Amino acid sequence: MTAVIATEGLGKRYRNRWALAGCTLSIPAGHVVGLVGPNGAGKTTLINLATGMLAPSAGTIEVLGGRPIAGPAQLARVGYLAQDAPLYAGLPVADHLRLGAHLNPGWDAELARGRVERLGLDPRQKAGTLSGGQRAQLALTLATAKRPELLILDEPVASLDPLARREFLQDLMESVAEQQVSVVLSSHLISDLERACDYVIVLVDSRVRLAGPVDDLLATHHLLSGPRRDRASLAGGLEVISASHTDVQTTLLVRSRGQVFDPAWTVSEVGLEDLVLAYMRQAGRPAPRDNHRHLEVRK
Amino acid sequence: MIWLTWRQFRAQAITAAAALAVFAILLATSGSHLSRLYDSSGLLTCHGDACAGLASTFLQNLSSGGGSFLIPGSAYMILYFLSVLVILIAPAITGCFWGAPLIARELEAGTFRLTWNQSVTRTRWLTVKLVLIGVAAMAVTEAFSLVQAWWAAPIGKAVGLGGGTSIFSEGRFGWFVFPTHGITPLGYAAFGFALGVTAGLLARRPVPAMAITLAIFAAVQFITPLWIRPHLFPTSQTTTMIAAAGANVSLKANPKLTLTAGAVPGHPGAWIISSEGVNAAGQPVSTIPASCEQAVSDALGSHRGTTAGVPGSTALNNCVASHGIRVAESYQPASHYWPLQWSETGMFLALALTLAGYCFWRLNRRRS
Repeated sequence: MTAVIATEGLGKRYRNRWALAGCTLSIPAGHVVGLVGPNGAGKTTLINLATGMLAPSAGTIEVLGGRPIAGPAQLARVGYLAQDAPLYAGLPVADHLRLGAHLNPGWDAELARGRVERLGLDPRQKAGTLSGGQRAQLALTLATAKRPELLILDEPVASLDPLARREFLQDLMESVAEQQVSVVLSSHLISDLERACDYVIVLVDSRVRLAGPVDDLLATHHLLSGPRRDRASLAGGLEVISASHTDVQTTLLVRSRGQVFDPAWTVSEVGLEDLVLAYMRQAGRPAPRDNHRHLEVRK
Repeated sequence: MIWLTWRQFRAQAITAAAALAVFAILLATSGSHLSRLYDSSGLLTCHGDACAGLASTFLQNLSSGGGSFLIPGSAYMILYFLSVLVILIAPAITGCFWGAPLIARELEAGTFRLTWNQSVTRTRWLTVKLVLIGVAAMAVTEAFSLVQAWWAAPIGKAVGLGGGTSIFSEGRFGWFVFPTHGITPLGYAAFGFALGVTAGLLARRPVPAMAITLAIFAAVQFITPLWIRPHLFPTSQTTTMIAAAGANVSLKANPKLTLTAGAVPGHPGAWIISSEGVNAAGQPVSTIPASCEQAVSDALGSHRGTTAGVPGSTALNNCVASHGIRVAESYQPASHYWPLQWSETGMFLALALTLAGYCFWRLNRRRS
């Protein structure tokens, strides 16, 4: 499988601080890839490097096999929806579509017009007066109507209310299904990714902590719970990702190749969010506060 | 890209066109009256010394309204001053309002992430923007200048004939006249615009960028006539009699000898860069000869109380001249007008291109 984004020792430094350091990863094509990680993990920096908004301080990055923003052809292959969906506040919706048509040789005017109609946007309305959800939708229209091979979205739903968030992601999924485009989507809202992504990359401290198709990950991870005891009593072939203990109970998140059959444990399925959080926490840092659910039962 | 540039520039272009129209209408309505005044002033048919007197009368008439009921007294003076001022600050205005926001507004609003990710490279984006809007800035400034030059042609001719008074006394090399006429407005406009764009790229916000643009442009407009323009083309030197140069011994720095020349014999309309007293051997003379003490105290006596601004006297001039002191002048003859215009315009165009080149480099190399 070819990589849509491949990095090798990629780093970006601001004065003395490394926002991203020694990042080596490969994002496969043909997926909707969720890029998750705690704040400061380097998600946005990685995306800025992939879209050529930043130049790397170290290492290399290839997007669709080419250098980011190497030329008009390379630019045409990548659609980018930046955080907060920047638009020209003074230009009406129709002029944004015209902008797309003038600046992209591969512009799909029919698709753009159709989407705007379906979204119920008034072509004469100025972008500055649109709601957050409408802005994001219009920006997504611009990014998809140029018919890219890769669509990169940086926290596209972070500023949207739950309803707009759901509509946006649904809409994104429809576009992806129609267009056969690879998608890389960054977010710290894991519950949203669960709905949209079929591949997850967990980035912690510039490093890939976990990567794989969502189905595979869910199939190979299990939650074991039982009376309190040591790990030593576990059967072989199980890798413990996280463990938590109360006075009477122990809960383990384990990775295994197949099903776990151990009568001593109650085995249950694990959700993507719990799974991702467990890997994030493995880095020895607390999970972001804005996640309401907790894997471990704290004492 | 051309469509986008026009779409984003439309409002500014219309504003500029409207300003130019108002300017042209204002000058056109008064301009015909001005040229009729000139035609009837006798300056078309005068000969020799008579011209200077007629020119003086003509310019004084303008200062007092030219005998027209429609145009109030000194309206021509105000129009002349304002129209020159408009051309002088037009490059700063276009630099501030067209140049500074060009990149800075995209950076501030984050829209660079939108535009620079369409299928157009930043180099192309900037090229189209710089060329179209830069040429517009140059064209507008030059248009202001040409309209004003047409309007002020009679005044320029009268000043050239030696009728300089008050605000109308500046010749073609004057501080306000030189950079607002000929081709120099093109150079200033290009420079002001490129300066604004660069300031915007570095400041990343339009308002500080505007302030920076304004400050640097004002400094450049001040520095250029003082220290740069005189040396853009080799000066000519001559040493003449004090009386012939219309020179005056100033008592401001008494007893230091300072001579201010008013003309270069044989070179009407020359721009005098510097003048100083020299002895027969050509050596500079730094002090007023001691034997001229009587003339000095007479001159001072007629302006009792103050020494500042004492203009000296003919007796003092003659006394200094009688000691064999002559005046050495360094000047740009009238024939150097166009070479100087080309040099100054070329210098600012080169500066503008350098700034533009830096913008291209930074936009592609550095953080957006």
